[in-house]
Amino acid sequence: MSDGKSIMVDTSRCTACRGCQVACKQWHGHPGTKTKQTGTYQNPPDFSADTWKLVRFSEGKASNGKPYWYFFSDMCRHCLSPGCMEGNKKDEIVQDKQTGAVIYTAATKNLDYKKVHGGCPYDVPRQDTKTKLIKKCNMCIDRLRANMIPACALSCPTGSVQFGERGEILKKVEARVAELKKDFPKAKALNADDVRVIFIVTDEPEKYHKYAEA
Amino acid sequence: MTNHWIDIKNSDCVLIMGSNAAENHPISFKWVLRAKDKGAKIISVDPRFTRTSARADYYAPLRSGTDIAFLGGMINYILTQEKYFKDYVYNYTNAAFLVDDRFGFADGLFSGYNPQTKIYDKASWTFKKDAQGVILKDPTLQDSRTVFQLLKKHYSRYTLEQVSSITGTPVEDLKAVYDMYAATGRPDKAGTILYALGWTQHTVGSQNIRTMAMIQLLLGNIGVAGGGVNALRGEPNVQGSTDQAILYHILPGYLAAPWAKAQGLKNYLEQITPKTKEPQAANWPQNLPKYAVSLLKAWFGDSATAANDFGYNYLPKLDDGQNTSILNTFDAMYEGKLKGYICLGQNPACSLPNANKVRASLGKLDWLVHANIFDNETASFWHGPGVDPKKIKTEVFLLPAAASMEKGGSMTNSGRWVHWKYVAAQPPGDAISVGDMVYRLMAKIKDLYAKEGGNAAEPIKALKWDYADAKGAFDPLAVAKVMNGYFLEDVTIGGKSYKKGDNVPGFALLQDDGKTSSGNWLHCGMFTADGKNLSARRGKSDPTGLGLYPEWAWCWPVNRRIIYNRASVDVNGQPYNPARPLLKWTGGKWVGDVPDGPWPPMADKEKGKLPFIMKPAGVSFLFGPALAEGPFPEHYEPLESPLAANPMSGQRINPAVKVFKGEADRFASADERFPLVCSTYTCTEHWCTGGGTRWMSWLTEAMPHVYVEMSQELAALKGIKNGDKVRVSSTRGGLEAVAMVTHRLRPFKVQGKEVHQVGMTFNYGWRFPNDCGDSANLLTPTVGDANTMTPEYKAFMVNVAKA
Amino acid sequence: MKKCSRREFLAATGIFAGGLALSSLGIPLGSVKAFAQELTKADRIKTAKTTISTCYHCSVSCGLLCSTDTKTGKIINIEGDPEHPVNEGALCAKGAAMFQMSANNEHRLTKVLYRAPHAAKWEVKSWDWAIERIARKIKDVRDQDFIFKNDKGQMVNRLETIGHMGSSKLDNEECWAIITMARALGLVHIDHQARV
Repeated sequence: MSDGKSIMVDTSRCTACRGCQVACKQWHGHPGTKTKQTGTYQNPPDFSADTWKLVRFSEGKASNGKPYWYFFSDMCRHCLSPGCMEGNKKDEIVQDKQTGAVIYTAATKNLDYKKVHGGCPYDVPRQDTKTKLIKKCNMCIDRLRANMIPACALSCPTGSVQFGERGEILKKVEARVAELKKDFPKAKALNADDVRVIFIVTDEPEKYHKYAEA
Repeated sequence: MTNHWIDIKNSDCVLIMGSNAAENHPISFKWVLRAKDKGAKIISVDPRFTRTSARADYYAPLRSGTDIAFLGGMINYILTQEKYFKDYVYNYTNAAFLVDDRFGFADGLFSGYNPQTKIYDKASWTFKKDAQGVILKDPTLQDSRTVFQLLKKHYSRYTLEQVSSITGTPVEDLKAVYDMYAATGRPDKAGTILYALGWTQHTVGSQNIRTMAMIQLLLGNIGVAGGGVNALRGEPNVQGSTDQAILYHILPGYLAAPWAKAQGLKNYLEQITPKTKEPQAANWPQNLPKYAVSLLKAWFGDSATAANDFGYNYLPKLDDGQNTSILNTFDAMYEGKLKGYICLGQNPACSLPNANKVRASLGKLDWLVHANIFDNETASFWHGPGVDPKKIKTEVFLLPAAASMEKGGSMTNSGRWVHWKYVAAQPPGDAISVGDMVYRLMAKIKDLYAKEGGNAAEPIKALKWDYADAKGAFDPLAVAKVMNGYFLEDVTIGGKSYKKGDNVPGFALLQDDGKTSSGNWLHCGMFTADGKNLSARRGKSDPTGLGLYPEWAWCWPVNRRIIYNRASVDVNGQPYNPARPLLKWTGGKWVGDVPDGPWPPMADKEKGKLPFIMKPAGVSFLFGPALAEGPFPEHYEPLESPLAANPMSGQRINPAVKVFKGEADRFASADERFPLVCSTYTCTEHWCTGGGTRWMSWLTEAMPHVYVEMSQELAALKGIKNGDKVRVSSTRGGLEAVAMVTHRLRPFKVQGKEVHQVGMTFNYGWRFPNDCGDSANLLTPTVGDANTMTPEYKAFMVNVAKA
Repeated sequence: MKKCSRREFLAATGIFAGGLALSSLGIPLGSVKAFAQELTKADRIKTAKTTISTCYHCSVSCGLLCSTDTKTGKIINIEGDPEHPVNEGALCAKGAAMFQMSANNEHRLTKVLYRAPHAAKWEVKSWDWAIERIARKIKDVRDQDFIFKNDKGQMVNRLETIGHMGSSKLDNEECWAIITMARALGLVHIDHQARV
């Protein structure tokens, strides 16, 4: 068996065009939710049952006095040993054998949401308050079965979100981090050994998002 | 764009100034970052730190409306540090030309200014000539009357300190940007500029762009892979709609629109056709008569004959100096001088400056025809905020249009690539394409005149209007072929025979005797003689490796992917940069891109031609007399600015600008009631006024409501917190917005004082969603660039207060 | 947007969460298996008609692939064209949202609407009625106001009381037809987005 699939999210290449955020909604048929402008580009403000891919924005002043603006195209990490599955009673949450994608089935409505959510260090799962289904990114498993790459990776203009065999993605991540370290000593890959969706950052992870790193 | 999107990858330095490419042309960053991967420097110069700045190697702020000062400083740096590309400057620009002794410049004004008319007499903006009419030149560039020396003198005033005190850009940022960009002046380096509305939307818009074009010429960056002057055009087909000339001042293919003095075709053709005595100039515009007559043949068919000047008199003519561009049109409408208005796929109630005036103007029409795919603030102006429908007399027709994927036809991207597209689905309900609407309407009008006669019936009767398919609907393919053009008789040109009814396979074959037709000479060659549509091609070969993709779609002119490309080679036809050869003369022919003309290299004194073939003198113009306000760009303050005086001269604003003086047009400069510089722009998630995107829930979810970006420092001064509701106002109007307090804007130090700038997108309007706020154009002034009348949306004065 | 009948239907079958067919995971689900597979969006796209189009927003003009259900004639998916050398399948937020510009958007205008002078409401009209009335209005103004000669006695053949605007959101052939009509009518107040 292969090592399954992986996604590299290289934040140093992200322009926050939000193609991924909308492509995800387009493919899955998720509605645009009602939001408010609260003084930020980040909207919707957080994940929801209808938002599985979300570009997070964070800004501040760098040591040279100039502004910085970080973009973090957040999504499920598809952990190798998913903490959320600890909440499983039977097979409500499954791991696809071929790809390693972590899939929430219709039976998640029978699970204790707090337990599932509590098992995720990245604050990803969300419950649909009406149906009680627990939802999140499924790596576009239906596309993968049809030999199509995930919608977010296809839409990404800059190669910030790249999909491929896990072995190849790990090599790309390693090479990219080495390259970035020349200019950004703090550059690193987040939890690469534990997750299939590997984020690369060039500064402290918490500057991007509270739950960027486990 | 002189170049095209993929070509950005070939650059060594990408200057992004006057545009926000990552946000407004997001896919451009695929190619910007590929250049960066290969070691290119990416520079972002913008009043506001944007998503573009976030991915740049270097960010420098500048106060809105001071680009000429910033770039003038760069010219000074390039000249004094000798960073320019000497061979290129001497061979391919007018640097060596000697300027007329009467030409001069003093205290912000060039010679020939008439303060009453605000128009320059350009008689002194010319070159010295010998008895044969050939321009005098000094190859050493040392003569004090050479363009080069005059240029040096003019920009010596733009010192780092002076520029910094105008732009608010710290001196170290100026130095860093100048140094990085000027490094592309070497033959083996190329720098590119990505600009957009951030440069055009100023009272000095044309001169902003000219300043950069001059820098590109000094550095030898035009006509080369990875270089060029690249306007990131706005709308999906704004390149094409400009080429087709939905504009008062031109006809399709950039032919001048006829004017009253040009009585009769002969007179018109003489006046539009430039002449030259320069021995090695190709002067391609000498062919314009062929394109003009072929256009008349396309429009009026058999009714266009040599005997009736091919129908030239059917065309409307403006009086000398009459300007009917959009600001003037709406001014006339406000005065009640227009009765009817046809507005297709545009939303002036939110997109034009001084929206209160625009909205009031629409109510003075007898009738308004509007076509769109969604309702908007223009179609529904009669029930807008504060409007009582009972008091509005205007009849309004709102016509449901097909969306782009519901019709066949072509669109032209910013790199001049024409792409053919197909029908993916039928439009909903009664919606039809705008082509269909126009086709039906004109057919009906022709019908009325045929039956009833009427005033000036001749042009309407003479108009060729046979563009229906078998089902009676508008046939875009038939129109595309007419735009390309046909042979109207059997002809033999250069030993090759063409049959009547063949498509003309290139504009070099068009004739001025009525034997050919072409609705737009630039589109000539999109079809082969036997009617194959080259814009539908999907070939992926890339023989140069530069990403030209010559078999993907088709581009004008004649599939040339980088224009002025013969400037990328030396006089012997050998590439200046052998590592990125765009063109090469080898074995008696050109290899690479489609060359800008077939002639051999310049070293052949008999047959060789200069590379800038659209310029009568064959070289590019460092000294350019074409623009209204002078042959060298000069810094003037925006019409509304925080400064009471221009630090560069006694001339505060562009001396050639038109200021509207009607009751609805008020201006407030250096006025303590409106102390903040404001700029409008758009964001990735919306398109222009949001007329389309506000109806798309995935996009309104991401950017739901009008906001105003301001610095932490300004917010503290005003007692405003992030997310507060505030009122933004100018002397013309105001609106409520959400405050976005950010580190990405900083106060500027200008003339020793702190100047604050705020910014807003113009993506919103009252119609939908009903709680998203209104248009930022309620604030903007009715004033335009002195050449183009493009409004000054990018720099005006406002105040902000907690609501 | 119109309510997504696919999602509603699938939710009703009780076998989906977030659009996923469990059957595709090799988890035994008995009789619903084949049915579920049939209904995945990816499978529907395989049998849909694919049409090349161009994004309707900025001037990068990204290539699009539109998938149209052959039975309903409706567009079911729009994504970037991976073969297009400029965008290579990529799309920004606006491009990725093109689906919501199609007939799937319930806000699309579908009828000819007319607002009479001083009226407070739109009325629905037919195309024949509207074209006839607009043509008549144009002719009336042209018959009244056409200027044959200017003050200097020069032939000018123009009409200053009707204006035209737009649009760079239209195809080349439509733009050409528009300017052809406008010039034949003698209009001079002609402009569009390219200026602003």
